[in-house]
Amino acid sequence: MCKSVQTYTHQQLLEANPEMGKTLQREINLARNIQMQLLNGKTPKVEGGEIAGFSLPARLIGGDYYDFYPLKNGKIRMVIGDVMGKGIPAAMLMILTRGAFRSTAESTRGPAETLTSINQALYEDLRTLKSFVTLFCADWDPKTGAFTYANAGHHLPIYISGKDRTVKELPKVQGIMVGGLPKQVYKEASVHLVDQDTIFFYTDGIIEAQNKRGEQYKLERLIRTLIKHQDQNVHDIQKSVLESVNQFIEDVPQKDDITMVLLKVSQPKVDISSLNAPVIN
Amino acid sequence: MSLKIKKKVKEKAVILHIDGILDISTTHLLELYLKELDDNVETLVFDFTNLEFIDSTGIGSIMNAIYLSQEKHFKLKLQGINDLTNQFFEMVGLYQILEEIQGSEMDV
Repeated sequence: MCKSVQTYTHQQLLEANPEMGKTLQREINLARNIQMQLLNGKTPKVEGGEIAGFSLPARLIGGDYYDFYPLKNGKIRMVIGDVMGKGIPAAMLMILTRGAFRSTAESTRGPAETLTSINQALYEDLRTLKSFVTLFCADWDPKTGAFTYANAGHHLPIYISGKDRTVKELPKVQGIMVGGLPKQVYKEASVHLVDQDTIFFYTDGIIEAQNKRGEQYKLERLIRTLIKHQDQNVHDIQKSVLESVNQFIEDVPQKDDITMVLLKVSQPKVDISSLNAPVIN
Repeated sequence: MSLKIKKKVKEKAVILHIDGILDISTTHLLELYLKELDDNVETLVFDFTNLEFIDSTGIGSIMNAIYLSQEKHFKLKLQGINDLTNQFFEMVGLYQILEEIQGSEMDV
């Protein structure tokens, strides 16, 4: 009896209030603005390299996430993630994930502990909402070149060696998506990055982008694009990837949220021809 | 973009052949089958032999089935998984979750 009264009242409201549709539209646009400002906001400057991130939802708002957090020890903590689903529900959980990351980032020792902490904070909520988030978290130390990372169900980023000008495989680290199981202890791996090395983090909206013939963009095409444009700065590499995806999909509407994060190491070259250097004939 | 689910019942086992695309636009169909599952089902099999594509929402549906198997005490089996889908399931940790929740054996 109560349920039918509730439904009837709801319908009455909508019929009596056509303004509600306009209000909802306005609120969705406001929500989009909030998400765009939080997501594509100010990127911290780092010594010894460049970082950049970009996110484009498939609908007005979406569930992809990326973030940077400069740590007191001089390292920069980076994260990329993908909430299950699309649109408003995914966006709400994205904000939850962002909050969990930012509140934990300064107090955890590394990426693995960060993911453990995020999973601990979000597991019950995600289970209740029948959702999950895939996350990849990494610390980069500009002083030592160490790139340390941990994974919760996400694609491993692409690592392009500046010296060899080719893709190198990152040591595999696997972990369960956040919200999958409680009390997860994540593992870490580490590589040493040198001048002109590039790390490209991404969500599957890029590699699963489809053209009119139903073909997917695929990882191989993304790798070719990155190798082709590897000499560009991070912002231009991002533009090149987006252009490549747009050219591929042509007029087909974007199917999934697209997000990418770039780290490019640029260590200043030492000039040995200083005024104090001895001249050797 | 469509999903076709063919249901076969063999004694106390239900086999759902999940053909086509399991994504945000089609998962509600699988959820319906999960809702209508008999309480006396002992085994539920998802056959992915003719699955063309699955996204995160599809994974979410499988997760729902895993947790339902815990609640209703039936065994969930996944079979007919191609290489690409297998990689996806491995990446997100789906097999580990299945094993942890029910100690399932999986036919590939």
